Amino acid sequence: MIRNVRNALTRRSVLMGGVVMAMGMASLSPASAQDAASRIVIGTTADVVNFNPLVGNSRSDTWVTNLMYPRLMQMTDKGSKDPYVATEWGYSEDGLTAWMDIRGDMTWNDGTPFTADDIVFTVTAVTTEKIGVTAGLIPSFVSATAVSPTRVEFTLSRPDSTFLTNIGFWMPIVPKHAFPEVGQVAAFANDKDWVSAGPFILTEVNAGQNYLLTAVDNYPLVEAGKATVDEVEFRVFPDVNAQALALRAGDLDLIANSLPAPIARTLQGQPGITIAQAPSLGWSHVLYNMTDEVLSKLEVRQALAHAVDYEAIRTIAMQGLATSTNSSAVSPVLSYWADPEAKEYAFDPELSKKILTDAGYTDANGDGFFDGIEFDLLYEQSAADIANWAQIMKDGAAKAGIKINLTGLERNTYLARGREKDFDIYAGNWAVMEEPAAYLGLAYRTGGFINYASISDPDLEKLIDEAQAATTPEAVKVPVQAAAKLISEKVYDNVLYYQTFQFAYNSDKWEGFVIQPSDLLSLVNPLSLASVKPKN
Amino acid sequence: MTMTNTSTTAPTLAPADLKPAQRTWRAFRRNPLGMGSAAVILIMVLIALLAPLLAEFPSGYGIEILMPPSAAHPFGTDDLGRDVLAQVIWGTRISMIIGFASSFLAILIGVALGILAAYAKRLDAPISMMVDVSLALPVLPLMILVAALVGPSVTTLVVVIALFSWPEVTRIVRSQALSVTRLPYVDAARTIGGSHFWIMTRHLLPAVAPIIVVSVVLTASRAVMSEAGLSFLGLGDPESWSWGKILFNAQRSGALTVAWWCTLFPSLAILLLVVSSTLMSIAYNDARNPKTREN
Amino acid sequence: MHLTGYFLQRLIRGLVTFWFAVTVTFFLVRLLPGDPVLAVAGPGMTEEIRQTQLELYGLDRPLAVQYFAYLRELVQGNLGVSFLRSQPVSQVLMERLPWTLLLTGSALLLTVILGVPLGVLAATRARGWVDQVVQITGVVGQSLFVPSLGILLLYTLGLMLGWFPIGGAVKSGLTGVSYYLSVVHHLILPSFTLVLAQLASYVLTLRATLIEALGEEYCDLARAKGTRENKVIWKHALRNALLPTTTLIGLQIGFLVGGAVLTETIYAYPGVGRAIYEAVGQLDFPVLQGAFVLLAATVVIANLLTDIAYGLLDPRVRA
Repeated sequence: MIRNVRNALTRRSVLMGGVVMAMGMASLSPASAQDAASRIVIGTTADVVNFNPLVGNSRSDTWVTNLMYPRLMQMTDKGSKDPYVATEWGYSEDGLTAWMDIRGDMTWNDGTPFTADDIVFTVTAVTTEKIGVTAGLIPSFVSATAVSPTRVEFTLSRPDSTFLTNIGFWMPIVPKHAFPEVGQVAAFANDKDWVSAGPFILTEVNAGQNYLLTAVDNYPLVEAGKATVDEVEFRVFPDVNAQALALRAGDLDLIANSLPAPIARTLQGQPGITIAQAPSLGWSHVLYNMTDEVLSKLEVRQALAHAVDYEAIRTIAMQGLATSTNSSAVSPVLSYWADPEAKEYAFDPELSKKILTDAGYTDANGDGFFDGIEFDLLYEQSAADIANWAQIMKDGAAKAGIKINLTGLERNTYLARGREKDFDIYAGNWAVMEEPAAYLGLAYRTGGFINYASISDPDLEKLIDEAQAATTPEAVKVPVQAAAKLISEKVYDNVLYYQTFQFAYNSDKWEGFVIQPSDLLSLVNPLSLASVKPKN
Repeated sequence: MTMTNTSTTAPTLAPADLKPAQRTWRAFRRNPLGMGSAAVILIMVLIALLAPLLAEFPSGYGIEILMPPSAAHPFGTDDLGRDVLAQVIWGTRISMIIGFASSFLAILIGVALGILAAYAKRLDAPISMMVDVSLALPVLPLMILVAALVGPSVTTLVVVIALFSWPEVTRIVRSQALSVTRLPYVDAARTIGGSHFWIMTRHLLPAVAPIIVVSVVLTASRAVMSEAGLSFLGLGDPESWSWGKILFNAQRSGALTVAWWCTLFPSLAILLLVVSSTLMSIAYNDARNPKTREN
Repeated sequence: MHLTGYFLQRLIRGLVTFWFAVTVTFFLVRLLPGDPVLAVAGPGMTEEIRQTQLELYGLDRPLAVQYFAYLRELVQGNLGVSFLRSQPVSQVLMERLPWTLLLTGSALLLTVILGVPLGVLAATRARGWVDQVVQITGVVGQSLFVPSLGILLLYTLGLMLGWFPIGGAVKSGLTGVSYYLSVVHHLILPSFTLVLAQLASYVLTLRATLIEALGEEYCDLARAKGTRENKVIWKHALRNALLPTTTLIGLQIGFLVGGAVLTETIYAYPGVGRAIYEAVGQLDFPVLQGAFVLLAATVVIANLLTDIAYGLLDPRVRA
């Protein structure tokens, strides 16, 4: 009796819980049975957003789709391109035609041969529908023809020394026969019935949890002709701290995202865990908004540049995992292009003060800051490194009598304000800047896509044009170095460092990774995951 | 002075001769949990007020990165070598400001609507409906949305948290006020022609005052939790230190498990504040209620 | 007749709640600063690409037009297409919803199962040491910051002791019974965290109302009639004390379903709360909007179903 009454009264709440739970359980269903002989489990902090490799632009998107849609060339750790799917390439004498030869032994996993037609289809879709960054990188493209199954010819509107290497690395090739017609490619979700020409193919997707890929039979780009492991699983861990615990517990074999320094240091000491390093192909910098009346003055930018404690940024905020680019927009990682003469701005607040005083600035109200000089420093709040050095930058500027306010924003607001040029000083980084003639144009030419600072300098543009029109590397190098020097002298861009990324994997269980530069490729590039094998 | 008087003469007085507030205080004082909690809150308020005297505002950087607690840094240092103790002290200030400001705002809205609903029959249904509906909304995701919408700052956090905390207050205040509106003296006030505003402020408001006291403390402590949650998700004020911000820094830099002192101390601060305010309001409620008050 | 009226009233209230949630979130989402196209095309897009994208998603039309178009589609069960994924929103979210329901449902169930005896225990021994222990434990549990607690549990019980898996909802590649066992195994820590966070409010409300009820006349009357104290508590007092408490839980289910964001983040649990947080960062309006619609629908339906079942089971509602 007593029990009954009690039950009647708790009924509502128990029912509520039961109803909700039943709704959940009923809609779950177990996966199909799999007897994986070998599976490598990789941690990532974010879900795959878009499975269309031409559209998806997050790290996870790239890591997963890279394993199915091959890039034509391989990135070296100096930023140059090696043959991969493409075996040879070149330009005509007048620079208005480009050509490329590809291997003949590649197939899509459904048996369809991988041919020049797929390349023509992809480049046409990208340029016609203006998909993503790649479209912006190849404005000189006019048309493409498959002259044979293994050879493509491109018609260009003007000589462009960066065209082939840009499509070679930035454009994953998609299957013409499994994609919709040109015009509908950008809106294609590509979220099922995948067709792959890479070492693996997606077989199972559980949003918010994991992505399972299985090895395909024919992958001629590794010696064995096929990936060594049978399956690759990406598991999503939104929190990097929990992710590191999972690696230590053996639930993960590898972490794809680069690790914050404190975690890397702790993992380093753990038995069976190895930390691998890869250089970034991009750099971190601050941009000064040239449309701002005060910042458009060279003296102010110089004063700012001398008020940054570069050493502290690299040793404290980056914990030593950063190297100076000598204040050059062409980082020493790109050893062919970098100017050995480049020198970093000296950290000298007194010099900054002198420059500003000479320029007529005073501190009339005696608050320790020059009057009329106060800037907002815009950065992305969730980027730990930048948030840390933004603080150091603020303190350094204060020593020189320059007031900086920190504006840490959520990612999208931050990106939007950068695009709308709504900032004084913009802190950020470029992930991969490997082809100077191409990126100098995007970043420093009037109206360039990523010219957030609104830099407009005819002298600089002349040098960039010269570099892009040149057809031999030697001829490109001279104007590239001159442009970098000009950018540094005029403080159009203050490049602080290039980062060294750290990645962790379980070396008790796995060996044979092929590490490549930048966190886009790192240990999870297709070659690496096709080569990795379980220890004994 | 009155307080001391009461305490010395209290034993000779029959409880019935005391005013309700005095009786409550007498009962409250005898509850060690309640008194202890009140003391903890008082200390935290003092820390918040005296923060500039207790520690330097944590800024800049130090050479000793992620050092465990030591004599120089009793709470250790973070990933920029800044003193965690100083962060927790200054965090107390911001967390409490956010807690009390948003609680104040929420109470203002909540009490006004609650009394209105109880007094004006015609408004009761729509207000109650609004409360029910608001309570059914997924609050934290909405807070995330609005905080991202307005951009992170202390003001944003205060307004956002207040915006989603008032329905709870309204609900409680309404039910309490409702029991008063049925009492004869309110009807009497109405028949002798007291203005609505006068009746609401002179009769209903005092009747719900004890509830408000509890609500302020509870809403504030919940606001501190919400602030921590939002900051932890990266929606905090970048220029100021709150407990949530310290935890967010630790999370972002990967120090959550690596440097336990970056996680433990701000978490403890949150725990201490929320636990004491909850226990204090329970003790206060018990003291106010003649049935639980031991005489 | 009464029953029909009761259901009708509940249904209308549910529909109004739902409409309100949809409208509020629709406009909130669209007031977000930032450029939704940016997240799709990346920062390197040209103005031309931007315009194409805006048109593609109908973002160039007036807000009111977008709102009514959205409502029209919603009535037909169409939540739209995700900006970033080019997938139907329902598909994106339906993969996540079951996990949210499982997590919050199990937490709710456990809370009630643990909460009722604890509340009674505390109320009947008010001021005693049992009461103090229950109160303090409950209050401490409620006051723990979820991510800190989560990482502590993962570190100790997951890594050091190896009792629980670290994050995730289920181990992949399992079938049959072992699949469901794995689901439960992964559910324990996050569910426990949620229970801890809300148990106190349930127990304390129950305790307070029960103390109140035990002092009421009808309890004294029952005692006077010679009813044993145990029966007075369980039969007479609890009946009245439980109603406001359960109503509270019913009202707070929205809070619970959405409040799991932090839990889902730290435990890598694939729920809707996390999807919302991610969609805010990606400015994926349709997914964001859809997630709120789904959460609101869940709350409304769960309330409605329990109301119906309650109405059928409890004769007093009919009277």
